[in-house]
Amino acid sequence: MSRDDDIYVVGCGMHPFGRDESVTGMDMAVRAVREALADAGVAWEDIGYAAGGSDVSGKPDTLVGRLGLTGVPFVNVQNGCATGASTVLAVANALRAGEASLGLAVGFDKHERGAFHVSAARYGLPDWYAETGMMLTTQFFALKTQRYLHEYGIPERALAMVAARAFRNGSRHPLAWRRKELTEEEILLSAEVSPPLTQYMFCSPGQGAAALVLARGDRAFDFCERPVKLASLAFRTRRFGSFEVFSPWLPPGPHRSPSVDAAEAVFRGAGLRPADVQVAQLQDTDSGSELIHLAETGLCGHGEQEELLAAGDTDPTGRIPVNTDGGCLAGGEPVGASGLRQFHEVVRQLQGRAPGVQVPGGPQVGFTHVYGAPGISACAVLTV
Amino acid sequence: MTTRLIDDGLFDGADPPRLVGARCSGCGTVVFPRQDSCPKCSDGTMSAHPLPVRGRVWSWTLQAFPPKPPYRPPADGYRPYHVGYVDLGDVLVEARLEMSRPEVRIGLPVRLTTVPAYQDEDGTDVLTFAFRPDQGEQR
Repeated sequence: MSRDDDIYVVGCGMHPFGRDESVTGMDMAVRAVREALADAGVAWEDIGYAAGGSDVSGKPDTLVGRLGLTGVPFVNVQNGCATGASTVLAVANALRAGEASLGLAVGFDKHERGAFHVSAARYGLPDWYAETGMMLTTQFFALKTQRYLHEYGIPERALAMVAARAFRNGSRHPLAWRRKELTEEEILLSAEVSPPLTQYMFCSPGQGAAALVLARGDRAFDFCERPVKLASLAFRTRRFGSFEVFSPWLPPGPHRSPSVDAAEAVFRGAGLRPADVQVAQLQDTDSGSELIHLAETGLCGHGEQEELLAAGDTDPTGRIPVNTDGGCLAGGEPVGASGLRQFHEVVRQLQGRAPGVQVPGGPQVGFTHVYGAPGISACAVLTV
Repeated sequence: MTTRLIDDGLFDGADPPRLVGARCSGCGTVVFPRQDSCPKCSDGTMSAHPLPVRGRVWSWTLQAFPPKPPYRPPADGYRPYHVGYVDLGDVLVEARLEMSRPEVRIGLPVRLTTVPAYQDEDGTDVLTFAFRPDQGEQR
C-alpha cells in the first residue's frame, strides 16, 4: 500500500526531440507541461510546487508568465546532465516535506548545432587547457572508452552494437529525433570523431522538452489509474579518484565513478537489486558511455557487455531492455530535458503505454541513470 | 623566431623544461597543474613537485575535427592531433601526444617534449607540453 509521503508520477508529457527552428526552448517546455497536466487530469492552478531546468534556453521560472501567474514556488535548476533528475529531487522532497500535494518538474533545451561550447573558467580550469585543444567532452568519452575496452578486452564492434540498437529503437519511437536504422557496419565505417568512437556512436546536442506531474501517496491514486512510484532517487557528485571529463590530471587507478555511488545508493533506497530491473535508461551520450554505465550501475559485470549485446539481452524483448526509446543517441541531448525524457519513457513503459516499442510482459521495475560533467550522476528506481 | 611557454606555472624553468605539479605533505597525492589545497585530504600543505619526464601512454585518442574556440589553432592551421593520458607513476597527466597513428598505443613509452600550440599576435610561437615516443627506451 502507498504511504502518504511516498511520491508518485501521475502524469507525463514531452515535446518531440529533434530540430525544429519554428519553436523556442520555452515553447517546447509549455507544450510538455500542458501534456503532463492533461495526462494527470489536473490544471496548472493545482500545482503547489514546481522545479524547472534548462542549460541554455532561459530561466525556467519565467514559464509562469505563460502557464499562469498562480504564485506557485518555482525553483530553477542548472545541474548539467543531472538537471532533470535534480528537478524531480527538488519537487519530490518538497512534496514529502508537506509543502504541497501536487508538483511539477520540467526540463527543456535548444542547443546550437555541433559540439558544446566550453569555457575553461566556468569549470575552474586554466585557459591553456581549452586553448591547446584538450577541453572537449568527445575526447573524454573516447579516452575513457579506449582505456575501458583495453582493460576488459572488449572489441570495438560492441560499440557499434550499442548504437545500432539505439537507432533501431529510435526508428520505432514517435518522439525520437533519429528514426533511421543503421547497421553495425555503417556505424563502424562512419566518420572518425575520436577513436574508438565514430560519428554515429555519438549523440548530438539537440532540442526538446519533457515534464512530469508528481503527487504524494495520499493523492496519487485520485489522479491516475496507474501511478508510478518513485521508489528511490539518488544524486551524487564525484569523489576523489574518479575519472571525469575535463581532467588535466588523474590519480592512478582504479577509478570509481559517481555512477557507481548513485546506483548503489538508489538500489539500497528502493530495497531492490540491479537484477530486478526490467526496463532501464542509461546515459548514452556515446556508445562507450552506455557500455561502461551498464556495468557501473550493476546491470551487468565489467567485460560482460559484448555477450549481453550479442545475445539481444538489452533489446526491448531481452532480459534487461536498455534505452527503449533510443536514448540520447536517437533522441539527441537537450541537456535540461534529457533526464526527464528518461523518466517519461520508463513511466510509460511501466504503465504499459510506451510511445514506441513496448517491453512485453508488464515490466514492474524501471531504472534511470544520468551521468555528466564534471562528475555527477543521478539514478532513480521507479515501480508499479 | 621568439618562443614562450604557454604558462610558466606549468614548468620548472630548466632547459629543457620539466612539468611541475604539486604534492600533498599529508597524503602524498600529486596533482597537475599545481593547486594550493589537496583534493583528497584537508591535512597537508601542497608544495611544488617536479614530474618525471618519462612515462607510458595510459589512454589515447585523436582529435579528428577542429575544436571550437577558445581552442587556438597553430599558425599553419588545424591538423588532427593525438591526445591522451600519460602515466607518470604518481599521477596521470593529460597531454598532446606527438606521434603517428601507427605508433600510438596504450603502454607506449614516451618522454616529455614541447610543441607549438599557437602564435601570439606579435608572431611569438607559444609552446605547450606534449609527449613523444621515447626512442631511448625502445632501443
